[in-house]
Amino acid sequence: MGIILILAHNWDDFSRSVKTIFAFLPLVIGQLIIGYSILKKKGKIWKESSGVFLFFAVGSSIALVSQIYNMPGDISSYLLTWIILCLPLVYLLKSQALAVLHIVFTTYYACVSGYFYGISHDTPWWYLVLLIAVLPYYGILLKHHFRSSITSVINWLIPLSVIILMGTFVNNNDTYGYLMYVLLFGLFYNIGKVPRVNKQKLRKNGYLVLGFLGTIYMLILSSFNWFWKDLLNDISDFNSQELYMSLILFFTSLGLLVYSYINKWLVEVNLFQYVFILFSLIFFIGMNNSGISTILINLLVLMLGVMAMKIGSEKLHLGILNYGLLIITILIACRFFDTNISFVFRGLLFVGLGVGFFFANYAMMKR
Amino acid sequence: MKTIHLFILFLILALAQLFVPTKMILNQENILETGIIYKFKTQPIDPSDPFRGKYITLNYEARSFKTKDSVWERNETIYVYLKKDSLGYAAVDQVSKVILEYDDKNYIQAKAKWYRNYTDELQIEFPFNRFYMEETKAYDAEIAVRNRQRDSLPNNTHALVYVKEGEAVLKDVIIDDISIKDYVEKEN
Repeated sequence: MGIILILAHNWDDFSRSVKTIFAFLPLVIGQLIIGYSILKKKGKIWKESSGVFLFFAVGSSIALVSQIYNMPGDISSYLLTWIILCLPLVYLLKSQALAVLHIVFTTYYACVSGYFYGISHDTPWWYLVLLIAVLPYYGILLKHHFRSSITSVINWLIPLSVIILMGTFVNNNDTYGYLMYVLLFGLFYNIGKVPRVNKQKLRKNGYLVLGFLGTIYMLILSSFNWFWKDLLNDISDFNSQELYMSLILFFTSLGLLVYSYINKWLVEVNLFQYVFILFSLIFFIGMNNSGISTILINLLVLMLGVMAMKIGSEKLHLGILNYGLLIITILIACRFFDTNISFVFRGLLFVGLGVGFFFANYAMMKR
Repeated sequence: MKTIHLFILFLILALAQLFVPTKMILNQENILETGIIYKFKTQPIDPSDPFRGKYITLNYEARSFKTKDSVWERNETIYVYLKKDSLGYAAVDQVSKVILEYDDKNYIQAKAKWYRNYTDELQIEFPFNRFYMEETKAYDAEIAVRNRQRDSLPNNTHALVYVKEGEAVLKDVIIDDISIKDYVEKEN
């Protein structure tokens, strides 16, 4: 990159053939180093660093050629070519850094082609292919380098990437998009609960944290009556990409839940693991009756709040206990926007909640 | 996996990595060598690309075409047939959704941008609207051309484009008969 910057200043003075040589130079150097490190069986650091060098050399070489010949080509097809040309390196060099780069650039590619293309955005199906392509390597990492920090980074990167990109798979039916997100968070929560992943510390388990927070966020949003009224107006098309995606997500989550049951992983009843099923039921009730769905969602959130408090007190975890209290507080605060209640009552209720927070924490500290 | 197998797989990958830019170069060189040259009157403006650097976007005068056909989808592939006007600059002769059977007319594969109902004009996006320049010169180029247009002299800024079988390569941008790169240096 540094060489490119230095050369760039005198770039216009070079002839086309000299420019072309400079475009290929880093690529060939990177390839020679990697060829050497494979033949001489060099160590991990050697392979990781030369892999990263070649990754950027491939990108810069294509970029320079398109610059030399003034080829416009949209940025998404450029990124796609680059990512595909470097994907095999992940497996050939068994490189963790390249796996991270692959996920980051794949996410960037899908954002560009899915979100930033103005009105007529395309669904970036290639994103799914590229993400699935790196999963076998991720599986190896989970199996053999379970505790390494790169594995925990990927444990966060993959769910984050999918959460960011899920929106590009929503075309016109925004309401189904909503269902898709709830199902996705349900899936992540259940992945996070798989014993092998769940054995990690909470901060290394991106699936569980994101699934947990995401589920609550989506449920709080749908606890408003306007959401279900909009739903009644919106839903008309049963033959849509969004519905099919929702079905795939639903059955994947259900499959995982059944698999967990067969393997006797579901030792205690945790309502969070079943939210996606309950929400789907409420969603389809909401298509006919907005009132019932609003009440059911509010009850569900309340139960989840209580559940989180229960988990917190059982595990003696102050964070989870307070999170449960917070869920209930947010729920009550949101209901105040919906209904007209006198300020005296509101004040008393919030003072009551504060006292509740205090005593719950106090009781826990004593234990 | 044995080292030698790993190495052979890497060799195949390395060849593929070399093949892509090489193919791009050969394709462009072929058009530059055997294509027909057109001069497109233009105005440049200066934006940048995060990976490929500074460039000037070229706004061609021949970017719209009057037609009664009003059904064009955004980003739809179109075939733009070219002619030369009395001063030798490129002009659009015909726009079609399919390739037409002409022996004597050159065409460029482009994209439809939008259709203006009140002027009956189709806006065309040509695939050669970027001209890359060295970091410090792109903005100067835009200013130079703007100043040049303030003069009473007629606009003679044009792009040299080689065209062959639907594909096009932008070779240079010319102001007052010299390359825009030299023009910017001369002005500074």
